[in-house]
Amino acid sequence: MNILEVHNVSKHFTGHTALDDVSLNVPQGSVYGLLGPNGAGKTTLIRIINHITAPDSGHVLFDGHRLVEGDVASIGYLPEERGLYKKMKVGEQALFFAMLKGMSRKEATARLKEWFEKFDILDWWNKKVEELSKGMAQKVQFIVTVLHRPKLLIFDEPFSGFDPINANLLKEEILTLHREGATVIFSTHNMASVEALCDEITLINNSHNILSGNVAEIRNRLGGNRTAFTVSGDTAVVAEHLGNLGARFESSLLDNGDTRLLVTPATGATMRPIIEAVNSHLDIKSIEPAIPSMEEIFINTVKQNSQQ
Amino acid sequence: MSNKTGIIIRREYLERVKKKSFIITTILMPVLMLGMMCLPALLMNVNISDARRIGVIDNSGVIAPQLVDTDLAHYTRVDISPDSMYARTDYDGFVIINSDIVRNPSGVTLYTREASSMELEQSLNDNIADAIESERLKAIDMTNVRNILDSVRADVNMSTFRLTDEAGTSGTSSAISYAIGLIMSIVLYMFLLMYGQMVMTSIIEEKNNRVLELVVTSVKPTQLMMGKIIGVGLVAVTQLALWAVLMVVLSASVVPLFFSPEIAGEIAAYNSGSLDAATASIDIEGLQALSIIGNPAYIAGIFGYLLLFLVGGFLLYAALYAAIGSSVDNIQDGSQLQSFVIIPLIVGFIVSTTIAANPTSSLAVWLSMIPFTSPMVMMTRIPFGIPTWEIIVSLILLYLSFIAVVWFAAKVYRVGIFMHGKKPTVKQLIQWARYK
Repeated sequence: MNILEVHNVSKHFTGHTALDDVSLNVPQGSVYGLLGPNGAGKTTLIRIINHITAPDSGHVLFDGHRLVEGDVASIGYLPEERGLYKKMKVGEQALFFAMLKGMSRKEATARLKEWFEKFDILDWWNKKVEELSKGMAQKVQFIVTVLHRPKLLIFDEPFSGFDPINANLLKEEILTLHREGATVIFSTHNMASVEALCDEITLINNSHNILSGNVAEIRNRLGGNRTAFTVSGDTAVVAEHLGNLGARFESSLLDNGDTRLLVTPATGATMRPIIEAVNSHLDIKSIEPAIPSMEEIFINTVKQNSQQ
Repeated sequence: MSNKTGIIIRREYLERVKKKSFIITTILMPVLMLGMMCLPALLMNVNISDARRIGVIDNSGVIAPQLVDTDLAHYTRVDISPDSMYARTDYDGFVIINSDIVRNPSGVTLYTREASSMELEQSLNDNIADAIESERLKAIDMTNVRNILDSVRADVNMSTFRLTDEAGTSGTSSAISYAIGLIMSIVLYMFLLMYGQMVMTSIIEEKNNRVLELVVTSVKPTQLMMGKIIGVGLVAVTQLALWAVLMVVLSASVVPLFFSPEIAGEIAAYNSGSLDAATASIDIEGLQALSIIGNPAYIAGIFGYLLLFLVGGFLLYAALYAAIGSSVDNIQDGSQLQSFVIIPLIVGFIVSTTIAANPTSSLAVWLSMIPFTSPMVMMTRIPFGIPTWEIIVSLILLYLSFIAVVWFAAKVYRVGIFMHGKKPTVKQLIQWARYK
């Protein structure tokens, strides 16, 4: 069951196309990564999902039905660029945002107090926002995003601007909300967090969806069957043998004097003759499958896509 | 109107009304305006300079005795030669009257140490003219000629009444209408400019500190824009209403306190058209002014129209200001695009001064129908008493064009708030309005 389905969405502005026939599915209960370089069209897509702008063509299904304005009450979106009214008091402002999400004043006050207590910021309630530091303001922004217990949470670069301690606090809170049943979408180019958190991703480049799927599956698929050897000795001696087997390889020197040898066998070939060839000329310390990091996949895929 | 727009309106309204600056201007403004109106009158009563000592060298011998001292000058007859007057620093000036002055009235010369004033010259001129006149009368061989002339002389005091539909009459005064019309026009111009710009700067601010990005996650941009316009508009209405209440209360309670029973009676007589001008204790023009200022119904009526035109004009201009505010990043860029909005506003205001002098000219009628100038121009015309249908047509046109402008502004706004960087051209704004 998908909580969100984007079908063939396109959006054009004068002079450029923000999204061109983009489709993707976000499974219910997943942690989803929306990746892509700056200006790829991620924010435009999120704005369409949040009913802020309308697509030129295509449509979005939310929870099985066509997205309607009322659905924003079931979505919590924390934009990358975000601010608060500087002259307003923190508590009053949080109430304002909560009521815009359709909560009653009483309900909103009770839940806000809970969250403020959890973040240990209850004494900020009557402070003006301009007295807060950037990190403090971000906590308030986070609270108003998740306060109405949305089914779908969308975070656009949520950890930028947070110190490591608060970033971790935030991550824990997001994961708690996820465990409680919320589907989470991260829009980011912080690949380390994608590997750690996301089950599924979509990579958007130049307004196209160029890669979609399960993170583990993508890493295995795009890693091919590369194998990484850690060896001691001069790797030049195996070059000829590997060449004869039709395999491609690259080597890099490690800090401890060993060499890391990355070998990709010829199409359809197995690893065995390669291991034998290496073993007969060099001392092997370890052999392991070389699964690329999301960062490598991101960079390579975007590069290939841009060259086309 | 959706609940969300209501929440936006509430925030926009309370944020402004609770500000100290709002409370202070609301109370101080009427006091300042009243002060400004009273200032010229006060200044006239203050004797700014001391009377000048003027020596009179009267070669005819008949003028000097008839010169009357005034606040401006004290006259003393001196018998010195014109050459020696330079040395007499105890006088501020000298007037030399030729011996044949009665026959040839141009034989008068005034010398002063400091620049003389127009008032002094005028008063001296009148004084000498009177003296010459009475000298000439003496030469006519006729008894009581002065008395006869006095009895013939007439001072005209015109009372004006307007024929109204109810076959009755109501007292009007062009001068009072002129003043009220201009004040209304100034108030409108001030409000439209001040509160329109408030909408613009507040949108630029929201855009710059990116709070907009957070707000539009739960509210449609159009709702946000309308909420802001209406919220700020209600602040303007609140301020105006407070002023109106203040002035109606003053008009009903304080002004009559200054009336003696005699004057109150005269005002009543004036309003019923039975006043005998010859027996009135103050002049008609003053009586008209008092009768209007002391009439709460009239003042409430004027404020009622003012409110209708203020709301319509504000909605129209605020929508344009909102579109501009959404499309730029800072006030400097905004002020350039703003000229498209300010020019019609200024035209309406400046033309009002001309129109107050001739409120039924075809220029006046046209400009009071065209939505961008109609609030100011119509408010200038209303005190003169114009057909109600003209006011209704003007209001309908104003509100219709507001709907059209809001439609356009909303389209620009929802794109503009996410655009950062280069200031857009008008052509681009129109392109934005075409986006789906």
